Amino acid sequence: MRGLTQFIADIRGARVRELEEKRINKEMANIRKRFKDGNLDGYQKKKYVAKVIFTYILGYKVDVGHMEAVNLISSSKYSEKQIGYLAVTLLMHENSDFLRLVVNSIRKDLNDNNEIHNCLALHAIANVGSQEMAEALSEDVHRLLISPTSENFVRKKAALTLLRLYRKHPEVIPAQEWALRIVSIMDDPDLGVVLSVASLILALAQDHPEAYSIAYQKAVDRLNRVPIPWLQIKLLRLLQIYPPSDDPTLQVMLQEVLQTIMNNCNEPSRNVQHNNAQHAVLFEAINLAIHLDGNSPLVNTAAVLLARFISSKETNVRYLGLDTMAHLAARTDNLEAIKTHQGTIILSLRDKDISVRRRALDLLYSMCDVDNSELIVGELLRYLKVADYGLREEMVLKIAILTEKYASTYKWYVDTILELLSAAGDHVGEEVWYRVVQIVTNTEDLQAYAAKVVFEYLKSPSSHESLVKVGGYILGEYGHLIANEPGYSPIEQFQVLHAKSQFCMAPTRALLLSTYIKWVNVFPEIKPQLVNVFERYRHVLDVDLQQRACEFYALAMRPEEDEMLQNVCEEIPPFPPRESALINRLNKKHADSEDKRPWAHSNGTLERQPSKVIRKPGTIDTNGHGSNSNGDISQEIASSLAGLDLTSSPLAIQSPSSLPDGSAALAAKGIPRLSAGPNIDRWFDKLLYTPEGVLYEDVQIQIGIKSKYQGPVGQVAVYVGNKMSAPLTSFTTALHTEEGEALTASFIKIAPSMLAPRTQIQQIVQVECKKVFRKPPILVVSFIAGAHQAIAVRLPIVITKFLEGVKLGPADFFERWKLIGGPPREAQSIFPIALDATGHIDLAKQRQVVAGHGFQILEGIDPNPSNLVGAGIVHTAVDGKVGCLLRLEPNREAKLSRVTIRSTSEDVASEVQKLVQKPLAADPSAPADKRTL
Amino acid sequence: MRFISLMLPLTSPFFYDAVNTSGVPRLTKFYSPIAHSAQTLVEKIFSLVSSRQPGLCNFLDAPELETFLKPKDGDGEKLRVVYRNYATLYFVFVVDHAESELGILDLIQVFVESLDSAFENVCELDLVFHFDEAHHILAEVIQGGLVLETNVNEIDRAVQEAARARKESYASANPLSLGGGGAVGSRSAGLQSPLGWLAGRLTGVGAR
Repeated sequence: MRGLTQFIADIRGARVRELEEKRINKEMANIRKRFKDGNLDGYQKKKYVAKVIFTYILGYKVDVGHMEAVNLISSSKYSEKQIGYLAVTLLMHENSDFLRLVVNSIRKDLNDNNEIHNCLALHAIANVGSQEMAEALSEDVHRLLISPTSENFVRKKAALTLLRLYRKHPEVIPAQEWALRIVSIMDDPDLGVVLSVASLILALAQDHPEAYSIAYQKAVDRLNRVPIPWLQIKLLRLLQIYPPSDDPTLQVMLQEVLQTIMNNCNEPSRNVQHNNAQHAVLFEAINLAIHLDGNSPLVNTAAVLLARFISSKETNVRYLGLDTMAHLAARTDNLEAIKTHQGTIILSLRDKDISVRRRALDLLYSMCDVDNSELIVGELLRYLKVADYGLREEMVLKIAILTEKYASTYKWYVDTILELLSAAGDHVGEEVWYRVVQIVTNTEDLQAYAAKVVFEYLKSPSSHESLVKVGGYILGEYGHLIANEPGYSPIEQFQVLHAKSQFCMAPTRALLLSTYIKWVNVFPEIKPQLVNVFERYRHVLDVDLQQRACEFYALAMRPEEDEMLQNVCEEIPPFPPRESALINRLNKKHADSEDKRPWAHSNGTLERQPSKVIRKPGTIDTNGHGSNSNGDISQEIASSLAGLDLTSSPLAIQSPSSLPDGSAALAAKGIPRLSAGPNIDRWFDKLLYTPEGVLYEDVQIQIGIKSKYQGPVGQVAVYVGNKMSAPLTSFTTALHTEEGEALTASFIKIAPSMLAPRTQIQQIVQVECKKVFRKPPILVVSFIAGAHQAIAVRLPIVITKFLEGVKLGPADFFERWKLIGGPPREAQSIFPIALDATGHIDLAKQRQVVAGHGFQILEGIDPNPSNLVGAGIVHTAVDGKVGCLLRLEPNREAKLSRVTIRSTSEDVASEVQKLVQKPLAADPSAPADKRTL
Repeated sequence: MRFISLMLPLTSPFFYDAVNTSGVPRLTKFYSPIAHSAQTLVEKIFSLVSSRQPGLCNFLDAPELETFLKPKDGDGEKLRVVYRNYATLYFVFVVDHAESELGILDLIQVFVESLDSAFENVCELDLVFHFDEAHHILAEVIQGGLVLETNVNEIDRAVQEAARARKESYASANPLSLGGGGAVGSRSAGLQSPLGWLAGRLTGVGAR
């Protein structure tokens, strides 16, 4: 575009601003005319719009070319399109009316077969994405992200565009619904795509931690494969938004990752650039290690490293070292490691770089405790006098807070605060002296001392107004406590204080007037001088002062025996205990940032307090179904008689279509809708009393189970087979336990992310039963085979798996049976049963089910041969052993059966009763003889 | 990263000289709305950055800038300035805390390397005469304030791809034209600057 080059050269050639403006005005006039005349070809439009952009970049206001830019976007030529998009992203802001006009062109480009057109469109949305665009186009962007045919560079951009749209208009993006699909992209072989998606997930997971919880496992897995530094940092950050995982496998893997990163930094680095990247990863790793456990050996290693960094020659490293150490100080219980470097840190307050000084200040604030508070506060006070103006206000607040928090003696507190007031008066907010007054008023021992000290400060020729205020207040209230000591007589107090009055602003003078009226009450000897002051103030111009003076004058002039004055000047009662206004102030100063990692980095004020982290997905009892499942047992029994599947919670019986909000609740927890179907229930029921078998099967995969249990622990091997001739990618397995405190289940290792065609993998689940539980854990297997799919099924891990049979003689049995007695420690139900082909009770099956549930079948106890009696003990790790007795009485004529469970724990009784009944009960709807079990 | 609020390579006409000369921005891009005029903001940032001695760290807390960049919803996000000086240019990013500081520093280097490879020894004039191209390259590194790509080769490939597409579309529209429509590598001889890019090789370019 020669015209453009010439234009730029002309402008550069302009010697003075006027000439430049002249040239630009001429050009704009020309362009305006050309545009008005119309009939321009694409090249000319492009040229003129480019000139308009250049003019805009120079800082001139432009009012032409918007429409032409919109036209250029729909051009079929890339060169014109590109300039059009550039103009849109530069000239228009997100509320511009012109954006309405481009939505359709952008959609067209999003759906274009040419990827570079997709990219231009994505870029435009990311830059100016308006509400309207978000609503109209987020689906298309999402499609580009997940489509298997998208090029990597398109998907990368789509991920970030989606993120940008989400940030601006979160309500438009169905974040929970898309969760699993988006997370599955973390397994993508292209690191650029993974990086972009990790950014997206980082944002989404902060708002929907449970829906994205599987990302935790993915991140750990990915980190294990040593990705590029940028991705490492992203993943390490992602892990910090979740509370530390209880999964021992993940814990171990994570430890290894962090250890490796920390070891790596001991190697000499190749160059500065590499060094930067390495340090960036290291600092993030340290942050994560601190997040996981502030007192672990890893953190000790980190402390040693940090100590080296804060005395590094490189300023950047010193800066980040101090920053990270402040984080460490805020989170660890053991400050010793940091305290050994106190000297270095204090020296950093005198670093030549203000950025470093700020960090040192933050760190000193974080690491302060009872032992070193006097030293640190002393240092800070000394530094305050030479500190940069920008730093002072914050320093004053911090010093005031530390002084109050760690004051070992009142004397020290008063001394320090008053020194602070006199040293940095201008930077002291009102809150600081309010707080002093509050504390002195509430602490009787302090009052006389405070009065004396403040008096001494006031004697110095120049004292700051804040100090005068404190002085006025304290001497007014407590001046009489020291009035009898030499040098503190009422008249001296008055002279010292009043000498300051003339330099003060009206509000301070008003406060002093109040002080004087208090003195009229306690120091009658100086009443004439005080009344004199009131009299003079009765004629000042300031209305407030005048009114006050008049009132006080009238009060002071009342006769001696009048008690009015005394009542008015009654000593102030202590303030109700309240939170320090200072901390509020500091918090307000650094209002919460978007960064939701538990320690807000940007805060600059790392409070030493337990951090608020997102609650664990596994332990949350979501409002929805908690009451339903833990609710009253009778209701459950009633519904069990109705033939409902109860062992799998109400979640399992929701039909997918009828309860959309139910699936939303599941999605919120990161669990896809449970797979349903008669076969699935049948397989599950059978596995309740058998150790191995099929759990799930469809045309693509098969899931089988083998299990063995010993006491309260068990090992369940899950076999997943790929039945297709194509590999399953982004293969992920996850477990969800809804009663985390009662049952833990975790994989020994993370599954590989790809399952080759016609192969099978084995994943071992480690199970421990701590207490009685009702809900079997959910296994989620997800993969991409064409589209992303997820299968969620309950694992047949139920309380009877931890039941071990015991042999009892008839006497023992009956003694225990009677000892336990009836309800609530007895659970009983009557349910229909199916007869076998010959019309008899299927005794073999009855025995199989009872024995399969772990009961020892006791012979010769019940006289009726078709009745079964059994006994067993449930092993739990926390609640210990629970005895459990069973009696099963099938009745051929009525086609009914009665099961009675007595247990020392009522929870066990009801739960076992349901479990035993479940495989035996006939499906009332199915013809009896067709049932195959 | 969330909202690299802006990035502006600034130039001081004389290397660490004449503090009173305000920097002329060569490339600015705002990823979030700004409250005041861009001009004053740029001046403010320039004065912050140019007053710092060499050898100090590349990071700067910038409470002064908050009035300019206050997001409308008023969350008190703390901003940090990350800058780096290359010859006559300062590359300045004003960022929130979504990326680590060292990461941003690395990103600046990535951007500069990409510019350098696209323009074959980039100099300040390239940013002036091929501002569109510079923006396109930036778009391959940062999209909507978020880090898009950190691999120089990938960025390079994307830039070349776009240049090729531009050339093709240009050639198809103007079959008789000899020159390509693309900017890359087509600097006119009169504007050719012999000056190299990286520190030490460049002595300074006229103010405008």
